[in-house]
Amino acid sequence: MNKTKRIENTFDVVRILIAILLAYLIALIILALISDDPWNVISLFIIGPFNSKKHVGDIFTLMIPLVFTGLCMCFVYAINKFNLAGEGAVNLGGCLAACVAIALRDTAVPGWIAIILCIIVGALAGMLSTAIPAIADQVFHADVCVISLMLNYILLYFTTYILKNVIKDQGASVTASYKLGRKVKLANLIPGTQIHIGLLIALACVVFVAILFYKMPFGYKMRAVGVNPSFARYIGIPVGSTIILSQVIGGAFAGMGGSVQILGMFPRYKWESLTGYGFDGLMIAVLARKNPVLVPLSAFLIAYIRTGASLVATKTQIPPEFVSIIQGIIIVLVAAEMFLSGWKKRLIFSAAKKSLKEKEAKA
Amino acid sequence: MSALRIGSFLYSVLRLSTPLIFAALSAAICEKAGLFNMAAESMMLWGALIGVMVNGWTGSVWLGFLGGCCAGVVTGLLIALATVKGKADLMLAQIAINLASSGGTIFMLYVVTGDKSTSAMTIKSQSLPKIALPFLKNVPVIGRMLNNQNLLTYGAILAAILLMIFIKRSRTGVHIRAVGENPNAAESVGISVSKTYFLTWAISGLLGGIGGVFMSMGYTSAFTKNMVAGRGYIGLCASSMVRGNPIGAMLCAMVFGVSDAIANQLQLTNAPVDLVMMLPYAVTIIVLIIISVIKIRTHVRKIKNKASQVKDQPGILPAGLSLSLDSLYGIASGPCSAAAAGGSSV
Repeated sequence: MNKTKRIENTFDVVRILIAILLAYLIALIILALISDDPWNVISLFIIGPFNSKKHVGDIFTLMIPLVFTGLCMCFVYAINKFNLAGEGAVNLGGCLAACVAIALRDTAVPGWIAIILCIIVGALAGMLSTAIPAIADQVFHADVCVISLMLNYILLYFTTYILKNVIKDQGASVTASYKLGRKVKLANLIPGTQIHIGLLIALACVVFVAILFYKMPFGYKMRAVGVNPSFARYIGIPVGSTIILSQVIGGAFAGMGGSVQILGMFPRYKWESLTGYGFDGLMIAVLARKNPVLVPLSAFLIAYIRTGASLVATKTQIPPEFVSIIQGIIIVLVAAEMFLSGWKKRLIFSAAKKSLKEKEAKA
Repeated sequence: MSALRIGSFLYSVLRLSTPLIFAALSAAICEKAGLFNMAAESMMLWGALIGVMVNGWTGSVWLGFLGGCCAGVVTGLLIALATVKGKADLMLAQIAINLASSGGTIFMLYVVTGDKSTSAMTIKSQSLPKIALPFLKNVPVIGRMLNNQNLLTYGAILAAILLMIFIKRSRTGVHIRAVGENPNAAESVGISVSKTYFLTWAISGLLGGIGGVFMSMGYTSAFTKNMVAGRGYIGLCASSMVRGNPIGAMLCAMVFGVSDAIANQLQLTNAPVDLVMMLPYAVTIIVLIIISVIKIRTHVRKIKNKASQVKDQPGILPAGLSLSLDSLYGIASGPCSAAAAGGSSV
């Protein structure tokens, strides 16, 4: 029995790796077919992200928001409720954090307190955004996915309203907020790159979530509800409140992601469309198999592919959007149970046969 | 003067509603089969792009229209392939398809034309014809509203009626509804569930594809990147407000069309456009919640009635009352028409 479980686990990892390789291969073939100088483009795509300090830094900076939304979607995916409000939570978190930063800019509040306040406000904003669909789902039994998709647009328009009417800097040439001020800018971690303290915050969050998932009663309850809600209810876990609470906690990370991204990367707030980090987060959670420990790894992978694509886009005319094809293929292959399932069955079958033979030999 | 303004306002409502209606119908047929269609977004994107491309190559609007339809169908079938044959999770597969399509259409546009954002400069494509209805010309408001609309605007209304008849009356429609109610029961009486799913996705893709064609060959006359901009999701909401009733879905889509038109009008004034744009989504959420509360209430009442009817017969009562809230939600097949009225009265 144990053996079967082990085969299943290793097989899952191998399957994900094969899916990634396959998708990557398809992308390379497409790149080779459409460019005039295939070798250069392909080497730029594969090695480019590692060929200078700045590019490696780009991977890590891109990774930061992805880790946050990946954590958010780990919670959502672990309880099998497709609450996609994490997407809008990034915008709301970023926007409200920007508001706080602007309000505190000319006061005597020291920088680190302002930063902490901004991030807390971002987290609260995220919690609020995921709480609405979660409560609508659990209390009123409305579809959580539809509500969260609608909520994303509400949050988007709400934040653009704030941007255009409350914090807009009339002097700026484009639609942008007032300057957030130097004191809330997250400090640079490694000179020569754009990596900021946000990376450390993200990794601290990963550690916290991992402890919550695997070392605390709440994490156990949550995973039990995700695997089998009826069983969880039977053994006395409050299913409804666990489902709501885990989505709310998840939302906090998405909101934090938005505020950290704004504080770390931009001098002004100017998001006028959904960032897409939320949906990316879902993919990262899928790749990490809902395991928060693996979230940085899969976020790194996605960030690496993205960085390669944007390098290709700057050197040639090929639009960076082609990576979304890779992402789509990876998700479908990882999600498709039938992908390589014949192989898995054969492995389990032969292992079972072998152990049977050993038993017979002993007897 | 004012009648003229109302007329032209309603004209733009219909025009803006058309893609939403197609998206809503695309989601509605899936809803009837018990599926959840988030991918109308990508069906529309591919329909819009391929429609323009085929139109440019062949010079024929109609072949372009056909190409767009095919692109939608293929997208639908891809989802069916991944979920039915590949046993992928429906939500994940659709999120993947949406991701891949939003980038894939841009990429394909680049490969074909060398332009990364629009086909306006590079592909010579026409629009589908507008239909003049001379007999309506002198009717005050209605004439302005209905006359000279794009062919597909009439098509959208016709499609809703046809889909209604198809689902209610045809043999296949009954099969689709049976599978939607309970796939296992349907399988047990000899309906092939996987075939029905494939068919449903194909029809859904066709409707989504036509909606996309309207976007690029009616609403505008070129493909622009991300031109669908969430209309697929709005269609999904419109249909889930009425549990997949096609006519109701069409009316709900028109409610969104009204708010789009109002926002367009307000854009000319100083009003906060973003808040106005927010309204239809907020209304949807509230209506969705109200509908599900009503549904649960009526269902509980039904069970209570049944329970009081069978009071004298012991043994049936516990079975009736042991339904958990989860199953209440699942079973609530609900008052479609009441929900439709609720949705359209907003």
